[in-house]
Amino acid sequence: MIRIENISKNLGEFCLDDVSLKVNEGEYLMILGPTGAGKTILLETLAGIYPPDKGSIFLDGVEITRLPPRKRNIGMVYQNYMLFPHLNIEKNICYGLKSRKMSRKDMRTYISRLTDLLGISHLLHRYPGTLSGGEQQRAAIARALVMEPKVLLLDEPLSALDSETRSKLREELRRVHSITRTTMIHVTHSFNEAFLLGTRMAIMNRGKIVQIGEPGEVFRKPNCKFAAEFLGVSNIFPGHAVQQNGASHIDLDGFKIFPAASCDGNVYASIRPEDIIISLDPFESSARNSFSGQITEISDTGLLVNISVDAGIPLLVTVTKKSFVELGLRPGMTVYLTFKATDVHVFENLS
Amino acid sequence: MILEKIRESKFKIITSMFGFILAAFIVSLLIGVVTHTTPAAFMESLRDSEILFAIKLSLITSISSTLLCILVSIPAAYSLARYNFWGKSILNTILDMPLALPPLVAGVGLLILFGSTSFGKWLADIGIDFVFTPYGIVIAQFFVNMPFMFRVLRSTFQGINPRYEYVAQTLGSSDAEAFWRVILPMSRNGLAAGAIITWCRGIGEFGAALMIAGATRMKTETLPISLYLNMSCGELPLAIASATILIVISIVSLFLFEKLSGEAKVF
Repeated sequence: MIRIENISKNLGEFCLDDVSLKVNEGEYLMILGPTGAGKTILLETLAGIYPPDKGSIFLDGVEITRLPPRKRNIGMVYQNYMLFPHLNIEKNICYGLKSRKMSRKDMRTYISRLTDLLGISHLLHRYPGTLSGGEQQRAAIARALVMEPKVLLLDEPLSALDSETRSKLREELRRVHSITRTTMIHVTHSFNEAFLLGTRMAIMNRGKIVQIGEPGEVFRKPNCKFAAEFLGVSNIFPGHAVQQNGASHIDLDGFKIFPAASCDGNVYASIRPEDIIISLDPFESSARNSFSGQITEISDTGLLVNISVDAGIPLLVTVTKKSFVELGLRPGMTVYLTFKATDVHVFENLS
Repeated sequence: MILEKIRESKFKIITSMFGFILAAFIVSLLIGVVTHTTPAAFMESLRDSEILFAIKLSLITSISSTLLCILVSIPAAYSLARYNFWGKSILNTILDMPLALPPLVAGVGLLILFGSTSFGKWLADIGIDFVFTPYGIVIAQFFVNMPFMFRVLRSTFQGINPRYEYVAQTLGSSDAEAFWRVILPMSRNGLAAGAIITWCRGIGEFGAALMIAGATRMKTETLPISLYLNMSCGELPLAIASATILIVISIVSLFLFEKLSGEAKVF
């Protein structure tokens, strides 16, 4: 288990600002955030590349804040593989074993389990420059795992790969994790990766972790405007929440919507575009929010169609291509929008 | 359209002409030196004991000074490429200084430092006397050419992503071990290119060496000094022999340097 407490580090362009985090044994934590959020520094600080300005890091209960990287047993894999170009794949993978005084033959048996698992056993005599990106990244992962690290840090390991290789390697990461049970911290900017690999995910912005939780939960219930916007939630409106007769409603510039949670004061309300039902006629239902409006714009993204509706407030609705065709939606049409109170997410407006 | 094309190619012709004229100037000069004697006379000079001495001394001093440059430049260049510390930019400027200094001035400075200070006298007392000895030639070559080695190495180290070292460190290496096992082998082309340019310039070093080591026949007589001495007393065939050897060394070195420095840019 790795635990960091109130870590701050200022590298000028990038920084960490009072970050605390706990990652359990065997967990696969995803860290998402925009460029410059401080994700890489967080990993490099964990690995011991820079000493933090403030705060402490504990690995299995032992403080490692001031230990040099070689004494931490934390592995690191970068986006650009960073395989040593002057060594062949076998020597790259065995780099860290050299200090363990093994014979060449022992090393070869020792690494074969890993190279078989990652499917690179036939590449051992090749040099990194002659391999594809996917093969290089497998070798880099093997090089880190051969040390049996307590934690493996992955800094956008799949970002430099083409989409087919990326999804293959993503599956392999998942397999490696389920077999080795190594604690992994994986930085990415892809929601897909975060969902498919992470047991938990953290969202970073400006050197802080703004939200952490199960991927589904974070995605469904962003806890702040940044997280909501970053996760691509489109319908976010500032408003004022009012409590009346035990129920709340939110006043968005004269436009009233009803959330399930009780709230008060200045808030943001958001509704995911896929949670809104679009219909040609009004209908009776248990859903608490129902409006009519005019379609202003339609954009076809392939499988899904995004429809902008002016219902007093501009709402974005996502429907499948099939529904779009069956309803015969066109710009200028009047439609009805319906969504449940439980689909209205409310977070405090701190500004 | 056609007119435009002609105008464009005219400009191309004129600018290229300048390149060709310069090249002709350089090549005719080199050919002039090499063809000034007959091959037979050149071979004859090569057997002359004075030329043989000059070749030997030039090789020994230039190789020693190059090794010295490598030894000192590797740590200096690495620290200036990787770390940030107080006084870094002024240090960079000072280390490049000998590049701009006229070699004669460098030689005078060396002569004063080693010839007339108590530090120099102390060194002479323990057996390292630079004044008017071959050691002086080595120290002159070292002083004048160190910036070349330093600059090539600094840019080589700067060109290597520090993350290679980070990874090596997470794999159990100390920073010194990561340097030794990863950075140094990755720098081998830059290292070789720097060594060649430093060595080639060392062999041609004249001004600074003349000042501190003097021009004593058969004692501090390197190839350039031999060229100078023989030229002044009219021994033209011997002077041309030295010049020809220096030209061959320069051409071969330049060729090797260009080949190796594909990844290590100097200036």
